[in-house]
Amino acid sequence: MAAWQSLRSNLRDASLVKVLGGYLFIGPALLVLGLTSIYPVVYSTVMSFFDWEWGGDISFIWFGNYTRYLSDDSFWQVVGQTFYFTAGAVVVELVLGLTLAIIVNRLGFGMGIVRTLLMLPLMVSGIIVALMWKILLDPTLGIINYLLKLVHLPTSAFFGAPSTAMPSIIMVDTWWQTAFVFIVLSAGLRSLPREPYEAAEVDGASSLQTFRYLTLPMLKPVLLTVLIFRTIDCLKVFAIIFGTTGGGPNMITESMQTLAYRTAFKFLKLSRSMTLMVIFSLIILALVMIYLRVGERENT
Amino acid sequence: MNVRKTKRLVTLLAYLLAFLAVAVTLFPIFWIFTISIKTQRDAFAVPPVWFFQPVWSNYLRIWQEVGFMQAFRNSVVITVMGVALALLLGIPAAYALNRMTFRGKRTFTVWLLVTYMFPEFLFIIPMYVLYQDLGLYDTQIGMALVYQVFVLPFAIWLLRSFFADVPVELEDAARIDGCTRWQTLRLIYFPLTAPGISATAILTAIWIWNELTIALALTFDVAKTVTVAVAGFRGYAAIDWGGMTAASIVSIIPMLIFAAIAQRYIVEGLTLGAVK
Repeated sequence: MAAWQSLRSNLRDASLVKVLGGYLFIGPALLVLGLTSIYPVVYSTVMSFFDWEWGGDISFIWFGNYTRYLSDDSFWQVVGQTFYFTAGAVVVELVLGLTLAIIVNRLGFGMGIVRTLLMLPLMVSGIIVALMWKILLDPTLGIINYLLKLVHLPTSAFFGAPSTAMPSIIMVDTWWQTAFVFIVLSAGLRSLPREPYEAAEVDGASSLQTFRYLTLPMLKPVLLTVLIFRTIDCLKVFAIIFGTTGGGPNMITESMQTLAYRTAFKFLKLSRSMTLMVIFSLIILALVMIYLRVGERENT
Repeated sequence: MNVRKTKRLVTLLAYLLAFLAVAVTLFPIFWIFTISIKTQRDAFAVPPVWFFQPVWSNYLRIWQEVGFMQAFRNSVVITVMGVALALLLGIPAAYALNRMTFRGKRTFTVWLLVTYMFPEFLFIIPMYVLYQDLGLYDTQIGMALVYQVFVLPFAIWLLRSFFADVPVELEDAARIDGCTRWQTLRLIYFPLTAPGISATAILTAIWIWNELTIALALTFDVAKTVTVAVAGFRGYAAIDWGGMTAASIVSIIPMLIFAAIAQRYIVEGLTLGAVK
């Protein structure tokens, strides 16, 4: 009986787990990702070669969708705007986040509570952030214009005018996501070794020199990671544009994803929208590769 | 003497700037909250009213409004299901990636990272078509499932780094004593990495609760989430500030509670990978 049981358990351990190995553990996850992740990517890619509207006929048109977009000025304008937003938001958030991390790191008493409070915007959904700022930045009734007037600064139409719409959205994203940069860089700062700083102090280096020649180089790997994360996230921007300008005025704040949304769910051009996303995914992939390549070269 | 004075000045300046940053961070939320407890007239007053008699009618109104309550409930159900699914699938997968060998392991790992880079609508439109056919469109279970596209890679990635801290010797000892893989997972990994698993669960929950893009496209009425419900106020932004702000505050509250009780886990989860 005991022999039978040990044989059975041996068999179970040996046959099923050994033969199937990791697949038994990875299988369920693979199945779900196959449905939610691999299938859609394949489907989008295949369908981008067809002409298809929701409820309409399907016809194969080779690269028709691609040539249409790649030769369309308004498409490239949207690509440009998406990068304009991303560059603006990422640069401001990185500079501000790093500054905050260094400042808060100096605090003794109250550092924990400051860190917790600064983190709060990250807990708020993008759409709520958008609607909050739409109220705050309302040209006539908003508190921000009132405060600006109070200190005799020029007021602004913010989301309402072509020249200020995108900078306003960049500002909203800065309020929302600087905390992410701040948190990660804070942890990065605390993980740095103490000895070089002590040596620098003995040698009488100024704080600016210490920052330039110690902190910045040692923090570089973390900075690169944050840069990649923020860049990808910003390129994918949707909720804060959807909730504030909806892409207007005059499409001046339209991003890749708001354009894809309108193309698919307002105009029902499904295959065109999928083409947009395939092109955009390739752009993102290429950009990340460049980042990683540059990061690698810097490190060697 | 002089050096000490400068140091004190720098510290003072640091506190001043930190205070300023906190003020800028908190003021918008505070101001939105005050609007939610103002009467319609006070909310639109120019110059703004700083002292007023608070009214809670906006909260009562959205509470009684069936649509918003239902959306809130939907978000709770979808978040719980989504987190459960992510952990159930993610824990064995993360374990296997760390401690087992199988063909295609590298491809799988790379795919997890690549998925994160892809924009939502690359996945949304195919899933919209598929869900219409399968009858999963506008269902809670459908939403919990579709969220796995981003949540599961994220969970596996986090869990993998937490699991990597478990000493191999400990596991080998257990295996020699006759533990199966599942038993080592249950008896050694769960107790040792409980904080890591909690961090993963919390960050996943926050992500699902706050998600708009996918929910906007794949829900309509029955499974509408809280973010979609709040977005519904968008068109009336000029009119119904009271309802919009009250709905916003109500949907932020669960996340603020999270932040208060689990701040350490959230920070740990966010910084992992970036610093390591």
